Amino acid sequence: MTPPRDIHQYLAEFDDIPGTRVFTAARARQGYHLNQFAMSLMKAENRERWKADERAYLGEWKLSDAQKQAVLDRDYNRLLDLGGNIYFLAKVFSTDGQSFLQAVSTMSGMSLEDYSAMMLAGGRSPAGLRSLKDKY
Amino acid sequence: MARITAGVATSHIPALGVASDLGKTEEAYWQPAFAGYEWTKAWEAEQKPDVVILVYNDHATAFDMKVIPTFAIGCGEEFQPADEGWGPRKVPVVQGHPDLAWHIAQSLILDEFDMTIINEMDVDHGLTVPLSMMFGKPDAWPARVIPIAVNVVTYPPPSGNRCWALGEAIARAVASFPEDLSVQVWGTGGMSHQLQGPRAGLINKEWDNRFLDRLEGDTDALRHIPHIEYLRETGSEGIEMVMWLVMRGALGRATRTLHRHYHVPASNTAVGHIVLEPLP
Repeated sequence: MTPPRDIHQYLAEFDDIPGTRVFTAARARQGYHLNQFAMSLMKAENRERWKADERAYLGEWKLSDAQKQAVLDRDYNRLLDLGGNIYFLAKVFSTDGQSFLQAVSTMSGMSLEDYSAMMLAGGRSPAGLRSLKDKY
Repeated sequence: MARITAGVATSHIPALGVASDLGKTEEAYWQPAFAGYEWTKAWEAEQKPDVVILVYNDHATAFDMKVIPTFAIGCGEEFQPADEGWGPRKVPVVQGHPDLAWHIAQSLILDEFDMTIINEMDVDHGLTVPLSMMFGKPDAWPARVIPIAVNVVTYPPPSGNRCWALGEAIARAVASFPEDLSVQVWGTGGMSHQLQGPRAGLINKEWDNRFLDRLEGDTDALRHIPHIEYLRETGSEGIEMVMWLVMRGALGRATRTLHRHYHVPASNTAVGHIVLEPLP
């Protein structure tokens, strides 16, 4: 058996990873309605209503104003900060006709061309991106 | 008696399914990713397993935020390929094996694994992409499939150690099923990838290959890797590799590698694949 973990230490370590939002219980609570809204786009009839009037569709969901604005802006880093989870947000960018590669590149601060080239060259190295505190 | 004859692990990247469905596997970008599965396709055609116990994660498809089972087992007669937002994949319906699945579910619960039992669910790319990679494009899947869904989306997911122990318990359950069946256990997901935030696109070839190395032989070092190591070293979605440990745990004390493949990239992700056989 693995010895019991200290839950506070377990959760605190997640904040030490550069450029990463781990989908913790706190984020899951904050983003509950945001993620459920995104999930609703799995149904074709909902996608049609959403495409016809995004603001009206969002009005049916208990999202904060900041969450609504970030959805309208397709600001995925902001949506992660507001409790969004990438597999739920994928319903939004899939409805826009975007691939994972396209949508993920928008979070990386790189153009799609530069991001694709980085992936073809072997991806982003973890060197220096493992820990904020220990800088390795 | 039912017996576990082999273990298979593979990435389940949705873009691989799209490339397969659209007939793009010979294109320059995709060919090296698919080439590493040719050996396995021929081997599976010879092996003809009766049942595949397929460990995967649902990606906000059958399970949303309303219900989040840590470990779930599909006991239904069949499972439809899901509409993930762009229409269902045009792949065969997945046929379950309710007799063996219910036997495993009961055995696991008696063995102190508190499983969630699923009778109806659609299955997403996490389950159907591995079937395409191993079996190609048949009119019907050549094996029955028992889905085991693991939560690796909302933290905390189960520990690697718990996943390995679940595999050991699945092996005990299979061994006590009276019908003569050839059973494979597949672990899916990974390898290194991060689909979110400024660190998106992270790939760690060295770490991934060390992980593949340690699936072979009699070491159980992998079961003790903490979540934080997967997150730091392999990206936020690299955590899916805990599901490979269910497969490894089910193979028992020691293994031998029959085939191994690694390629970067497929979309945002490192493709990893290994075929193992249990050693006595």
